[in-house]
Amino acid sequence: MTDIRALEADIAQAADSGAPGRSAWYRLEPAILGTASIAVLLVLWEVLPRLITMSAGTKLFFTTPTQIAGTLWRLFATGTIWTPLGVSASGFALGLGLSIVVGLPLGVLIGRSRTLNAMLDPFITAFNATPRLVFLPLLMLWFGLGLEMKIVIVFIGALFPILINTYEGVRNADKTLINVVRSFGASEWDVARLVVVPNAMPYIVAGLRLAIGRAVLGVVVAEFFGSESGLGVMMVQAAGRYQVDVVFSGLIVFAALSLAMTAMVQVLESRLSRWRPQRAGGE
Amino acid sequence: MQAYISGRNVNLTFRPPNRGPVRALQNFDIDIGEGEFLSIVGPSGCGKSTFLNVLLGLIKPDSGDIRMDGKPLAGPGTDRAMVFQEFGLLPWRTVQANVELGLELKGMSSDTRREVSQPLIEMIGLSGFEGHFPHELSGGMKQRVGLARALATDPNVLLMDEPFAALDAQTRDLMQVELLRIWQTAKKTVLFVTHQIEEAIYLSDRVMVMTKRPGRAKKIFKIDLPRPRDYEMRVTPEFNELKLQIWNELKDEITV
Repeated sequence: MTDIRALEADIAQAADSGAPGRSAWYRLEPAILGTASIAVLLVLWEVLPRLITMSAGTKLFFTTPTQIAGTLWRLFATGTIWTPLGVSASGFALGLGLSIVVGLPLGVLIGRSRTLNAMLDPFITAFNATPRLVFLPLLMLWFGLGLEMKIVIVFIGALFPILINTYEGVRNADKTLINVVRSFGASEWDVARLVVVPNAMPYIVAGLRLAIGRAVLGVVVAEFFGSESGLGVMMVQAAGRYQVDVVFSGLIVFAALSLAMTAMVQVLESRLSRWRPQRAGGE
Repeated sequence: MQAYISGRNVNLTFRPPNRGPVRALQNFDIDIGEGEFLSIVGPSGCGKSTFLNVLLGLIKPDSGDIRMDGKPLAGPGTDRAMVFQEFGLLPWRTVQANVELGLELKGMSSDTRREVSQPLIEMIGLSGFEGHFPHELSGGMKQRVGLARALATDPNVLLMDEPFAALDAQTRDLMQVELLRIWQTAKKTVLFVTHQIEEAIYLSDRVMVMTKRPGRAKKIFKIDLPRPRDYEMRVTPEFNELKLQIWNELKDEITV
């Protein structure tokens, strides 16, 4: 009896005194460890080449973080990067935009109409099962090496995640809620606007996240294998001239673009899910 | 009594894909007077909710004649509104936007909508909760929003599909009182579907017992308890006698 009491008191005390300090560390731990490991890696990368003697030939293939930072700065300061960046970004944005404009309504339509679904399903299944990049040679033939080809390759890459996710979300719509709006005389358009699309929004956002990845991939591959200009072209040409720092600069810009887009989707997601119960530990 | 809503020989069979046909309603007859509160009790799956959906205009019967105010029923309309069992609130809409749903679909401007929704939200005791989302409300509050939404378009007929079934017993009792209060002031015709005999007696002018599927009207009980009803009536001998009679009609229809 006394033992249990003592034990309970101990636990209570431990929980009391330990909790606040632990929770602050607990919250910050991942961020601190993440930043620290990046910092360690960068320092090692910077220092090691200075400690190891390499032949001039080997040195050709390496660069250091400070060198990359300098090159990035130069590329932006002199403005050399703006043209290729603009080309890549337009291909990405236009292709992705087009895939949203087409994929979202089409996903809603095939989700709502059995007829359309039966008609289009074979195409969608076949297209989706094929790696979209195998169309690249054809697209280069048909659309050339300019912006149009890039838009099309991005479009067909990003279309299916959006289309298929929208479709799944639409199929998942709550029948009762559809009846609710119908009972107020809602048209099929009202049903889509008021119930089906809001209900599918989490699916659509997840599809968008996937689509962004596919879109970036589309831009990169199109530019690696045959384009007139773009960040990828800049990287390939730099690699041919052993300008490893320029290659890394392109890589960093691509990574930054992807991260920025993902962050935008996250903002969109949290704005769209204000009506949801907050998960434990969420914002 | 002149029937405000009448159904004659209503037949309805569901034909779900991959399964055999299900006869939901067979030669179903009903008469509801204007301003009347009529409850339907019946075994699960007897077609009582189906009939509400027919009246709402969401399901077309295979045959039969359904009239409202002398005119044949044609599709959904703002003269009828439903209070749904699981509330049926759009989870991404605030309390106010949910209440205003029907008004919005009628094409009303947001200012006019607000003029209608504000007093209703006040009436259901949710002032200050206009901006809340459904997940932030209790079951009783949600169903009051469902009720306000149904009343917003000022329908003549209120269809209620086991509206209090998802609530706990105490909340349910309070909601019944609230519903009677609203019914007495708003003077709506109410068709109320429930599993609870006591609830049906307490609220209604008449209680219809339905047979098991395919559903027909088996017997109708007139409830002569005085209005306004109060909670004490539930323990009177007349009340219990009615309860027993209705149960005796109903129990033969129930298979466990």
